[in-house]
Amino acid sequence: MLHIVDGEVVVTEKRRALTRLLRWFGEPMRSAWHHRDLIMAILRRELNERFKGSMAGWVWAIVAPFLALATYTIAFSGVVKLPNQVEATSQFDYALFIFGGLIAYSFFSEMAFRGPSLLHEYAHFIKQTMFPAEMLPIISTLRATVYVLIGLVVMLAAQIALTGTIHWTLILLPLWLVPFLAFLIGMTWFLSALGAFTRDAAYLMMTLAPILMFATPVFWSIDGFSPTVRLLMYLNPLTGFIEIIRHLTVLGTLPRLPVVAWTLMLSLVSFYFGFWFFRRQRDRIADVI
Amino acid sequence: MSSSDTVIRARNLGKAYQLYANRSEWSKQVLFGAFHTYYRSFWALKDVTFEVKRGESVALIGRNGCGKSTLLQVICGILRPTRGELWVRGRIAPVLALGSTFDLESTGRENVMIGGAVLGMRRPEVLAKFDSIVDFAGVGEFIDQPIKHYSTGMRARLAFALCAHLEADILIVDEALAVGDAAFQRKCMDWIEGFREHGTLLFVSHAKADVMRLCRRAIWIDDGRIREDGKPVEVVRSYARAMETEPDDMKRFTAV
Repeated sequence: MLHIVDGEVVVTEKRRALTRLLRWFGEPMRSAWHHRDLIMAILRRELNERFKGSMAGWVWAIVAPFLALATYTIAFSGVVKLPNQVEATSQFDYALFIFGGLIAYSFFSEMAFRGPSLLHEYAHFIKQTMFPAEMLPIISTLRATVYVLIGLVVMLAAQIALTGTIHWTLILLPLWLVPFLAFLIGMTWFLSALGAFTRDAAYLMMTLAPILMFATPVFWSIDGFSPTVRLLMYLNPLTGFIEIIRHLTVLGTLPRLPVVAWTLMLSLVSFYFGFWFFRRQRDRIADVI
Repeated sequence: MSSSDTVIRARNLGKAYQLYANRSEWSKQVLFGAFHTYYRSFWALKDVTFEVKRGESVALIGRNGCGKSTLLQVICGILRPTRGELWVRGRIAPVLALGSTFDLESTGRENVMIGGAVLGMRRPEVLAKFDSIVDFAGVGEFIDQPIKHYSTGMRARLAFALCAHLEADILIVDEALAVGDAAFQRKCMDWIEGFREHGTLLFVSHAKADVMRLCRRAIWIDDGRIREDGKPVEVVRSYARAMETEPDDMKRFTAV
């Protein structure tokens, strides 16, 4: 049932402020669950296209991270001290250290590049049908997750093969992935809504992403800096995510609690801000795309 | 709330499109919209009030750009009305611009799965009806070909077949049926006639014969308002007369 008065959807039942607030926070999840079949249908199609079109589709997805890892291993095999001043326990630790950060960073940059043009890609859906456009950023983030998981598996396999050890902290990885997904989905909501109106959003991200890579501890660690600089570094939301995945995979230690709390908060802010922004622009998007 | 057999009720419905001088005005509106207005409004729908009861079949007629399509899109929930009240009850099957919603690179099968999900069908439901949909569309083995290899008519067939299996309460048929060949049009018309026995039909067409055949009521929309609402014979007649006597107003696509 649809009931709209003066551009606002009417909710017939009366609710108290707190209930309304809770409902609003639950809205993205409820909406995604409601559209789960649609999300799966499009995701299945996208992955099919990616892996069916080429004969060795899955092989490419595995070879790329494997080659990267091999390159770092050769390049950094002699280094004995990790960037965070910890003694390397084996000659492969440095490569794994970088690779962990790179997985997180490339997940981010994939979404940052694709986000602004996302709604243009699916313009035909948004224009004509009752398509829930807010599902698109979720779908494309999930699609990228598949590649990230492949990268992670390659990395862990390499870790077992090269160093012969694997850390128990790995079981905490979902606790890293879920907030990261929330952060990226929120970011993509924001970028895609913005990108629907102006191409500048795409150019801006193309300019920013490479710069951000050097402001992000992918090839280095923030432990070498003074405490003030370190605090500034955490303003970059990726810093926390990269640090946590390194702790969990390569170092096998628990991440610092303030870092986890801060990162979690950034994810929530990004998720709900993105959702709010996208919803606000939703109707205008249908008009302009 | 109105009586129980009302399925669509529109009261003083208006829809304004925002017109921008250029794209940068657009982004300014998105970023600073709270402080300043960067667009001019074009009212595609000005003031539309009507009610449709369950089981009615209503034709919408009018010139190009009179607001018919906007009205249909508003009723479907694709566009949100700027002002006025809209109340719609039941599942809607929008056969709007048949086939243009399909993703060209995807196969017919994938498009049916995606389209079915968009229209609110659950996956098992689509899978159960899949063979019947392909059958109705008559696209045969092409179902596993990308849509870009389909002819316009085949796309329309598939889209209509999908909508026909939705078990909707309200069927909204746009002018798009015109792209099908005579045999398929007849098939659709027969199906629509069967549908009318339990469902509500909104029909947009410039073909007078179809309007007379399918509808018991016609609404003539002119310049974003309802100009006449009544029996199809009478409304179509006055519409035809107006088309002859009133010149094509070139200024009607101007914003205020």
